[in-house]
Amino acid sequence: MPELLAFRAVDTYYGDLHVLKAVDYRIDAGEIVCLLGGNASGKSTTMKAIMGVVVPARGDILYEGRSLAGVSIAERVRRGIAPVLEARRLFPRMTVYENLEMGAYTRARGPEFDEDLQRVFSLFPRVEERLKQFAGTLSGGEQQMVAIGRALMARPKLLCMDEPSMGLSPVFVEQVFDIIQTINKQGTTIFMVEQNANMALSIANRAYVLQTGQVVLSGPAAELRENEMIREAYLGEMKVG
Amino acid sequence: MTDPGVTEPEGAGPRSGMMGDTFAFLRHGSPVAWIAPHLRSRVGIAMVTIGALLFPVIIRNDADIDSAANALAFAALALGLNIVVGFAGLLDLGYAAFFAIGAYTYGAFASFQIEPAWSGFWQPFQWLGLVAHTGDVVHFTVSFWLMLPISAAVAAFFGVAFGAPTLRLKGDYLAIVTLGFGEIVPIVARNVPSVTNGAMGLNGVAAPQLFGWSFGIDATPYYYVGVGLVALLILTSTRLKSSRIGRAWMAIREDEIAAAAMGIDRVKFKLLAFAIGAAFAGATGTYFVAKLQTATPEMFMFPVSVMILVMIVFGGIGSIWGVVLGALILQILQSWFLEDLSQWLHALGRLIHVEWLRQVELSQSIEMIFGIILVTMMLYRRQGLIPATRPVQALTLAEQTALVEPAAAPSAERLRVFGDSSFSGPGPLLEIKDLTVRFGGLVALRSVALTVPAHSVVAVIGPNGSGKSTLFNAVTGLVTPDSGTVRFAGRPIERLPPHTVLDRGMARTFQNIRLFPNLTVLENVMVGMHTRLRTGAVGALMRLPGMLREEEEARARCREILGLFGNRLLPRVDHVVASLSYANRRRCEIARAIASGPKLLLLDEPTAGMNPAETIELAGQIKSLKDHGLAIVLIEHKLDVVVSLADNVVVLDHGEKIAEGTPDVVRRDEEVIRAYLGRSAAVA
Amino acid sequence: MTTTALYLQQIINGLSLGAMYALLALGFTLVYGILELINFAHFSVFMVSSFIGMWALELLGLSGQGVILTGFALAGALIFAFAVTMLLAGLLGVAVERIALRPMRAVRGTAAMITTIGVSYILFNAILLTVGADSKNFPNPMPNVRWDVFGATLRLREVLIWSVAVVLMIGLQLFVNRTRLGKAMRATAQDAEAARMMGIDVDRVIITAFFLGSALAGAAALIFGLYYNYTSFIIGYSAGLRAFTAAVLGGIGSVTGAMVGGIIIGLIEALGGQVFAVRWTDVIIFSILVLVLVFAPTGLFGRPSATRS
Repeated sequence: MPELLAFRAVDTYYGDLHVLKAVDYRIDAGEIVCLLGGNASGKSTTMKAIMGVVVPARGDILYEGRSLAGVSIAERVRRGIAPVLEARRLFPRMTVYENLEMGAYTRARGPEFDEDLQRVFSLFPRVEERLKQFAGTLSGGEQQMVAIGRALMARPKLLCMDEPSMGLSPVFVEQVFDIIQTINKQGTTIFMVEQNANMALSIANRAYVLQTGQVVLSGPAAELRENEMIREAYLGEMKVG
Repeated sequence: MTDPGVTEPEGAGPRSGMMGDTFAFLRHGSPVAWIAPHLRSRVGIAMVTIGALLFPVIIRNDADIDSAANALAFAALALGLNIVVGFAGLLDLGYAAFFAIGAYTYGAFASFQIEPAWSGFWQPFQWLGLVAHTGDVVHFTVSFWLMLPISAAVAAFFGVAFGAPTLRLKGDYLAIVTLGFGEIVPIVARNVPSVTNGAMGLNGVAAPQLFGWSFGIDATPYYYVGVGLVALLILTSTRLKSSRIGRAWMAIREDEIAAAAMGIDRVKFKLLAFAIGAAFAGATGTYFVAKLQTATPEMFMFPVSVMILVMIVFGGIGSIWGVVLGALILQILQSWFLEDLSQWLHALGRLIHVEWLRQVELSQSIEMIFGIILVTMMLYRRQGLIPATRPVQALTLAEQTALVEPAAAPSAERLRVFGDSSFSGPGPLLEIKDLTVRFGGLVALRSVALTVPAHSVVAVIGPNGSGKSTLFNAVTGLVTPDSGTVRFAGRPIERLPPHTVLDRGMARTFQNIRLFPNLTVLENVMVGMHTRLRTGAVGALMRLPGMLREEEEARARCREILGLFGNRLLPRVDHVVASLSYANRRRCEIARAIASGPKLLLLDEPTAGMNPAETIELAGQIKSLKDHGLAIVLIEHKLDVVVSLADNVVVLDHGEKIAEGTPDVVRRDEEVIRAYLGRSAAVA
Repeated sequence: MTTTALYLQQIINGLSLGAMYALLALGFTLVYGILELINFAHFSVFMVSSFIGMWALELLGLSGQGVILTGFALAGALIFAFAVTMLLAGLLGVAVERIALRPMRAVRGTAAMITTIGVSYILFNAILLTVGADSKNFPNPMPNVRWDVFGATLRLREVLIWSVAVVLMIGLQLFVNRTRLGKAMRATAQDAEAARMMGIDVDRVIITAFFLGSALAGAAALIFGLYYNYTSFIIGYSAGLRAFTAAVLGGIGSVTGAMVGGIIIGLIEALGGQVFAVRWTDVIIFSILVLVLVFAPTGLFGRPSATRS
C-alpha cells in the first residue's frame, strides 16, 4: 500500500512551548490509523499541522510523496485532505445543506457534486431529512453526521477526524464508528485523533500513542489493545526519556 | 535526562515595566552616561523644571508664552486621558466632555453673563465673598483657586456617572458609549442657554486673582499656573502609577478576569480611573476658561477628544512623560511650526510659480495631519515616542546559564509568607455539595460533591472535557452555579464575585496561564498582594510613611515568595513576564497566587508543558507548601505527581464524580480506566 | 394639513431616510459581522461617495436643477450615477482595508478601531481641504412629479429612493444566500477558523465584505444627495451617527437587523422632529445608542456575547 501521509521528525512550538517533539507518523492509503493520547499530548496539534493551521518549526510533512511546506489550506483541501473538526464546528446559522455545500467549496459544481451528495445521504439518512434546518439546532450526534458529511463533500483521499466521539452518547459513538469503517471500506483513508482508545483500536489498523508531544508507542491495533502501557501513557505515568 | 541545572536561556534584552529610568533612551553614548543611573531621572526632571520656569524670561514674546500656556493645558488633558486609557485600559472617546464640565462649572460661577435675581437666599454667600450684589442681580465672584478643586470634583462626579454604564461593556463598545456622552454634553451646552449661554458661549469670565491682583491679559501668569497644574498632575500620575492603585489599574488593563481572580474590585477601580481622569480634565477646563475668559461648545467637541487621543498615542500610551511630550509637540506643531512652514511654502510657491503652494494654509490641515499621525503610529509604532515599557539590561551569560539553586529549606519564620494555614476546623476547609453548572443545554458539572479538609491536598483528575476547570471557575465565582452549595471556612460563597472569594482566602491559577503580560514578574506578584495591602488613592498620593513602609514590606515578601523557586525567578524580577519561558511563567503565576496569603490554593495543571525534570522540581516545591500546612486542590493529569502529593483523589468524567479515594486505589479503579481509555464497543 | 396627513407625510419622509440609513447600516454591519470591527471610516467613505455621485452626474451635463430628464434618459443617468458611485466607493473601501486595516488584523483590542478613526479623519479633511466647507448643490434631474396620498405628498424621488433601496437589499440577500462567495461570507462570520479549514479564502471574503459594504455606502450617499439636493463634507457625521445607531439597534452583525434598524431610526427622526425640537434629535439618537448598548447590547436580531467583555 503506498504511503499517503507522513510526518518526518516534526517539531512544533506554541510560543516557546515545545508541543510536538520530533514525531514520525506514517499512514498508508486505505488504512485507518488512529492517534491516541491523554490530555495535552499534542493530538490536536497534529491535526492542525496536517491541515496547515500550524506550521512545523522543523521536519517535514509529506502527502502523496510531496512536501506540504508552504502549501495553503485551500490547496490541501483541493489535493484531498478534509477535516472533521473537534466539536464539529458546523456553521450554526447555516442550513445543513449549506454546510455540506461549504465542504465542497474548493470544488466545482457539477455531476460529481451531486454524486457526493447522494453518497452522504445514503450514509446518513437523518441528514437528508434535516437539510433545511439550521445546523446549530441539531443534536450532538446529528451534528457529527453532518460534520462527517461536510468533509466527505470534498471527496477527500484522506479524512482527518479530530475526536469524533467527543460529547456523544454511547449509542451515537457506535454509529459513528460503524460509519467510519464503512467510509474506509469505500476507499477513503482515515486518520483519527481519539481519546476513546478502546473504540478507536477496535476499528483501526494501526495506532500511535502520544504523550507530551512524543510518540511512546506504535504498532498494529491488535497488539496495542493488549498492551498495558497504553493505560500508563493515558494516566500520565510513563517516564519519558 | 536533561540536566536539571541548566536554566533555559532567554532572549536578549527583556523589557521592564518599572517606572524607574524614564530617560533611558538617552543612555547610549551621550553625556548623560556621565551621571550615575539612579540620579539620571532626578537630573532630567530638575533640568526640565528649570527650563519651564525660565521659559518666559528667555522668550519674551507674549504670543509665544500664550501658545505655551495653551500647550500646557493640553498636556494636562493628555495626562488625564492617560490614566483612563493608558493605565486602566478604558478607551474613552468622549474625554472632552469632562473638559467642558470643568470649564462650564467655573464659567457659570465666574461669568458676568449669569445673573440670577437677588433674594435673601444669596445673603450668606455674599458674606463669604462668593457673590457680589449689584442692583437687583447677583454676580458670582467665586475665586478661581477655590473653583479648581470644585470643578475637578464636579467633573469626577460626572466621570463616575458616565463610567458606570460602561463597566460591563467590551472595549470598543465602551468607547462608543463614552463617545455618546462626549457628544451629548456639548449639545446640551449649546441648547441650555440659561446656564451656558448656548452657542454664543459664556463671555466675560472673570480672570483669576491672586491676593487682590488680577491676572489681566498678559499670558505669563497663566503660563505659570499651567506649569504648576501640569507639575501637580505629573506628580499625581507618577505616584498613582507606582502604587497599589496603579498596579490594580494595569492589571485590569492587561487581563480583567485574572485581575478579579487576584482580588481586584473591578467596578471600584474602573470608576476610580474615570473619576480621577475626569478630575484632571475638570481642573484643566477651569484653567483654560479662566485664561481665555470665554467658553463655547465648539471647544469641547469630538475633534478635541480625538486630538487628545492622538497626543497620547503619539507620545506613548501609558508613559507619563511620553504623553506630556506628545501633547507639547503636537500643540507646538499646530501653533508655531505650521505657521512658519506655511510661510516657507508660500515663498517656495512664489519662487517656482506654483499657485497652489502660495495659498496653502497648513494650520487648517491640522486635523488631517492628526489623522495621518494617528494612522501611522498605529501601523508602525503603536508604543509611541516614549514607550511605557522600557528595556533593561539583558541577563549576563553567567546569570542565564546559572545552575538552579534549590531554595534553602524555608525556616518556619519564612514559611509564614507562604499562605495562611491557620484554619483548623471544625469541619472541612472547603465543602462542595451537589454542584451543578449548565451552559445552555450542556451540563458541565452534575451534582459534584467534594471535600477538602484543612491542611490536605486533593487532586482532581479526569479526561478532557470532564469539567475540572469548570469546577474551579464555579468555586471561585467566575461562573455562577445553577444549584448546589460551596462552603469555604464555614461560610457559603456560591454567589460571591471572584475578588471577594480571593479576599476570603482562596487563590487560583489558570490552565492556560493568565499573567499580566506587560507587567514585570515583581509587579505581577505584587498584584497578588492587592487585598493584603491597605493603601488607597489618598495614601498613594501623599506618599505617607505608612504607605511607603507597606510597599517595602510587600516587595520584600514577594521576593521571599519568588525565592521558593530558587534562582529561577529572582534574577528576573524586573523582566516583563511576556519575555519569560513557559515554565517560568507557570511559576510566576503560582507565586502570584501565593502572594495573596491564601488558606486554599487551587492549581490548574501547574506542571502542564514542563519536562520531567521541571515537573519533579515543581512537585517538590508544591510539597513544601503542603508541608507548611497550606491546603491545595490540584488539577493534574500526571499521575506520579498526584501520587506524590495528594492525600485524596477525585475523578471527574463528563461532569460527574465517578471515583474517589487515595491515589493508589483510584489509579486501579476500573471505572477510572474506562473513563480515560473510553468504553469499548457496547455489548449488545 | 390635517394631523393624519402630517403624520403620513412624516412617515413618508421617515421611510426615505430609513432607506438611506438602512443601506449605510448594512454596509457597516457586513464588515462588523466578519471582523468584529467598528469601522469609523465607513461613514467617511459615505461622505466622499456623495461627492463622487455629484461629479458623476455633473459629468453627464446635469447640474443644479437646470436639466430635467424623463423616462429612459432619467433611468440611464441614474443607473450610470449609481454604478459609478458604488463602484468607486467599493474600491475606496477596499483601499482603506488593504492599507490601514489589514496590518492591524492580528492586534487584539481596540487598536484597529482607533486606526479607523484616523483614516476617517484623513478622508474627511481631504475633502474639506480640496472642496471647501460650503455645501454643494447636488444635481437634481428628476421632474417634479407628485402624487397626493390622503393629504400627504409623495414625490417621484421618494419612490425612486425606495425602489433603489429595495432592489439593493434584495440583491444583497440574494448574494448572501444564493452565491458561493456570499455563503462563504456568512460562514466566515460564524466561524472563521472552520471556514478556513473548508478551503475558504478568508482574505478574499474580507475584501468582498469591504467592497460590498462600501458600495452600499455609496448608494446611500447618492440617495442622500438626491433627497436633500445638497452635499457637504460634514454629512458623514450626522448620517453616520444615525446609521450606526440603526445597526446597533437592529443587532450588530445582523443583516436583517440593519435593515429593520435603519427604517426604525428613519421613522424616529422624521416623526420625532414633530414632537421634539429638531436640535434635540442628535441627543435622542445618541441616547438610544447608549441605552441599547447598556441595557440590550444584542439589539433586536443580534448574536449574544458580541458586546460584553
